Amino acid sequence: MAAPSVKAVRGWSGLALGVRGVVLRLPGLTQVRWSRYGPEFQDPQTDKEYYRKPTAQLTEEEKYERELRKTRFIKAAPATKTSSVFEDPVVSKFTNMMMKGGNKVLARHLMTQTLETVKRKQFEKYHAASAKEQATIERNPYTIFHQALKNCEPVIGLVSILKSGRFYQVPVPLADRRRRFLAMKWMITECREKKHRRMLMPEKLSHELLQAFHNQGPVVKRKRDMHKMAEANRALAHYRWW
Amino acid sequence: MRERSGTPNFREVGRERNYGRQFESTSCSLETLRGSSALYSAGTMLKGMTRLISRAHKLDRGRFLHTGTQTPQTIAAHLDNPAPVESPRAISRTSESDPAKHGEQQEGQHYNIPHQDLKTVFPHGLPPRFVMQVKTFNEACLMVRKPALELLHYLKNTNFAHPAVRYILYGEKGTGKTLSLCHVVHFCAKQDWLILHVPDAHRWVKNCRDLLQSTYNKQRLDQPLEASTWLKNFRTSNERFLSQIKVQEKYVWNKRESTEKGSPLGDVVEQGITRVRNATDAVGIVLKELRRQSSCGIFHLLVAVDGVNALWGRTTLKREDKSPIAPEELAFIYNLRKMVKNDWNGGAIVLTLSQTGSLFKPRTAYMPQELLGEEGFNALDPFIPILVSNYNPKEFQSCIQYYLENNWLQHEKAHTEGGMKELLFLSNANPGQLERLCAYL
Repeated sequence: MAAPSVKAVRGWSGLALGVRGVVLRLPGLTQVRWSRYGPEFQDPQTDKEYYRKPTAQLTEEEKYERELRKTRFIKAAPATKTSSVFEDPVVSKFTNMMMKGGNKVLARHLMTQTLETVKRKQFEKYHAASAKEQATIERNPYTIFHQALKNCEPVIGLVSILKSGRFYQVPVPLADRRRRFLAMKWMITECREKKHRRMLMPEKLSHELLQAFHNQGPVVKRKRDMHKMAEANRALAHYRWW
Repeated sequence: MRERSGTPNFREVGRERNYGRQFESTSCSLETLRGSSALYSAGTMLKGMTRLISRAHKLDRGRFLHTGTQTPQTIAAHLDNPAPVESPRAISRTSESDPAKHGEQQEGQHYNIPHQDLKTVFPHGLPPRFVMQVKTFNEACLMVRKPALELLHYLKNTNFAHPAVRYILYGEKGTGKTLSLCHVVHFCAKQDWLILHVPDAHRWVKNCRDLLQSTYNKQRLDQPLEASTWLKNFRTSNERFLSQIKVQEKYVWNKRESTEKGSPLGDVVEQGITRVRNATDAVGIVLKELRRQSSCGIFHLLVAVDGVNALWGRTTLKREDKSPIAPEELAFIYNLRKMVKNDWNGGAIVLTLSQTGSLFKPRTAYMPQELLGEEGFNALDPFIPILVSNYNPKEFQSCIQYYLENNWLQHEKAHTEGGMKELLFLSNANPGQLERLCAYL
């Protein structure tokens, strides 16, 4: 993907604004995931409420930001980013991670079916429960999804560090995005591998999400195992140099 | 995802007009039945279809809630002419659970079908997504809509001495043809008619595992499994008639078993259920007897077939030598075609066209001519077409209110005005699409 775009840009010498030419290169490290946009490009703002705010209500900072945006370049919005009120970045990311071979239609269909299944299961429980328990049952599939993934996020992770010819598993604090990624990755791997051949993904995924919501199930167990390993390798923590 | 909207192309409009013209020539023979009301309504419906699509987008920003509560800003402006503020519940539900009493007042409102009726009247008739909804909400609520009200009006004024009139519900995908049919079936069941309900004729022309050579006629083929399940459901919905109607001929099943003349129809049904090999023949006998005896006046017969375009389409079934099977070679289809002919009296025939399960038909086809083909159209001509279209703004509001009452829309943004506008836009007021959208929100 990067190579053909580099060739195309060389031909447009007049348009070589903001496109990264030579990047800082460290020996032995190649940049794998990088964007062709320079640092001056700003992210697109798709929130309709942002634009509907009347000028009188804006603070000084917001007015400055608006003026700034008028002068800056703005990145092109990807096709998946909409101004829909129902858009959820976590759900979009999860759908992208479930996608195989670029089949977004199927991945989105599975995601929506999963949310529907979660909702229906919770409604069944709600109708079967007594009045007191009904207040505790959560029926919103989005809250369940978010809470389940939060419960699956590890706090601390392990990294292989090479020291004197041996690889050691060293406990390391994880960035927020790494934690979210690990939670989603574990959830998807669990649902893909540990299910009966004939069971469908939405069914299995809804079951795992509900279990994770209640802090039970294999994904939360994997998070706890990770924490235990980190605790066990506490002594190696000083191998980390960052 | 979104239904294709916009002005209908010239081909479709041309067909509509041709259809209207064809219908005019046959209307004089049916004048005695219902006057010119059907022609008028057919004409308005054909015109109304184009208008409904554009109406959905003419909603004013400040007055999105069509007939319901007004927003605080607009109330101040309308203090001069106070409009009666109806509570949201008044829009979406009605307490009238007898379809016979449904009229213009209940249009757009949901009525509740009691659980007992569900088991007896609809052992097999409801669409699968609706069954899921009934299970989730613990109640079966159907919206009263114009096409169903029209059909009910015609059925209430049927002349049983005249040949059975055929009514065809047609419309785009997901507009509510099957549920309108179910509304009509519920009405007829309440009026004590005998219901002959084929839930989905497409299920008989595809994915059939066992096909046996028919014992009655060597050229035709039997479908034992489907026939026996259908007979079981038929028995559940029409228990009381099976002992009253007597068979008028002797039927010999095999060397040892036979049904004597004068024995109740229930015997034939039992024979079909227990001896699965003879199930299709039992179905044929039931259809023949009902057709013969419907004119006697003991009972009124309603023939309700969903997806009637399957009877004249193609099948995906093949014989052992991989040669394709035509629909008329299946015994059930052959007998059902005879049932749908209007040569008997004492009842009515209500049919639905369906592209959803159809074979070898494009997704955008919804007109009778396109789905039935030449043969089917000529076989069903003359019939009364009833167009089922997308929700109008009032019905859309009612549907959303119903979902809100049942707490089905859990997404916090779905309760806002922006969320509802987006739902309208995404679904284009198509009932099927709206239901699928709201399912995961």
